[in-house]
Amino acid sequence: MTNSNMTCAAFDEALPDYLEGSLDGSLRSAVEGHLRECVRCTGLVRDLRAIEAEAAKLPDLVPSRDLWQGIETRIAAPVIPLATRPERSRRFAPTWMGIAAAALIVSTAGITYTLTARTFRGNVAPAPSKSVATSSQSRGDSSAPQVAVTETPSQASLPATSTTRNGSSSRSSVGTHSDATLRMVNDPGVTSEAVYSREIDMLQRIVTDRKTQLDSTTVAIIEKNLQIIDRAINQSKAALAHDPASRLLSDQLTHALDKKVELLRRAAMLPVNT
Amino acid sequence: MAGMGATARSNVVRAPMGDTADVALAAAGDRQAFERLYRTHANRVFTLCARMSGSRSRGEELTQDVFVRTWEKLPQFRGESAFSTWLHRLAVNVVLNARKIEGKHASRTEQSDVEDERRDEMSRAPLLIERMDLADAISKLPEGARKVFVLHDIEGFKHEEIAEMMGITSGGSKAQLHRARLLLREALQR
Repeated sequence: MTNSNMTCAAFDEALPDYLEGSLDGSLRSAVEGHLRECVRCTGLVRDLRAIEAEAAKLPDLVPSRDLWQGIETRIAAPVIPLATRPERSRRFAPTWMGIAAAALIVSTAGITYTLTARTFRGNVAPAPSKSVATSSQSRGDSSAPQVAVTETPSQASLPATSTTRNGSSSRSSVGTHSDATLRMVNDPGVTSEAVYSREIDMLQRIVTDRKTQLDSTTVAIIEKNLQIIDRAINQSKAALAHDPASRLLSDQLTHALDKKVELLRRAAMLPVNT
Repeated sequence: MAGMGATARSNVVRAPMGDTADVALAAAGDRQAFERLYRTHANRVFTLCARMSGSRSRGEELTQDVFVRTWEKLPQFRGESAFSTWLHRLAVNVVLNARKIEGKHASRTEQSDVEDERRDEMSRAPLLIERMDLADAISKLPEGARKVFVLHDIEGFKHEEIAEMMGITSGGSKAQLHRARLLLREALQR
């Protein structure tokens, strides 16, 4: 309907602000003038006001069951007397500690070795579609060693820790994975992206298996952050597909992959019930 | 003219007598005190969770999540607002964050519902709103519109608060609210 001052379409546009009471004087007068003449718009305002009024009066709902038991189970932490509290190292599940430490060593060593080897080999011919390999090339000799240097301290410090905390099975695991990683990175057909992928897959499996041992909030935060990092990785890969020579993009991808490895590493090492 | 939100219940809920002592005890680790707080506030929290999620069963899960989270965060409660207000805001955040984490698709396609069918409505009679029908219609709203509607028209939050909590603009909150009301009207006229 149309009246002399305002069409129904113009009324509809102004309606949200009118209902909020935030229209200025002249526009509000126009709306009210339209309402005096238009049955359609009058009915609309009447119905929306009724909905709002009824919604505010809706009664509270009641759960179909008592939810307290489930809450109590989740918040009940074991109370351990201070005198008998086990040493900190016993809070960690030994098996998981071993696997996590092994994964930590392998991922650190593998990535460091790859980047270092690539630096000293010079220009290894990577597949053009592999963005990380391309990035190593485009970085040049001056920037690649920085990555290797950054990773080296953690690599050096970890084997001692794992040797003292873990049994023979985990040490055996370390040797196996390290050998495999070395074989892989020495293969010129394998890119550093493949190394990242392998380490991420391994860490991901550990973290997935550990989910039931961790607090749901922690798991949710880890998953949320992994999603964010995965988005960054995918965006970097997509951008690199269009511009394979971009140093910025390849650095971004490497950074995102590093972040993912780091997060998974930390998640794999978290104490039980964290 | 007063805004429509004026009739919504206030989200600033007056703390029942005894809350203060129980809050202090629960913050110190007293689970019995925390259970009393749960008993006092469970229905309000469940109502919020069920209405925002559009599902009673999901609302029950979220209610448990809210109280577990409350237990964890309680030592950080400084009493700058009423406990019930703090709890209410925490519940909203748990529901909103749960949805983000789950990353599931909305049960209804947001954009497909936007199409505004303009019919000849001049002859329509006033709506006869049954509460059951309204509650059912709210649960079937598209997710974004439902959450804004529940937060604004039922829980009494302001658009600025909703925008902050949901990570949208104030204008976006207003648009979702209006859309929700129009969709409810359409649903209730069927």
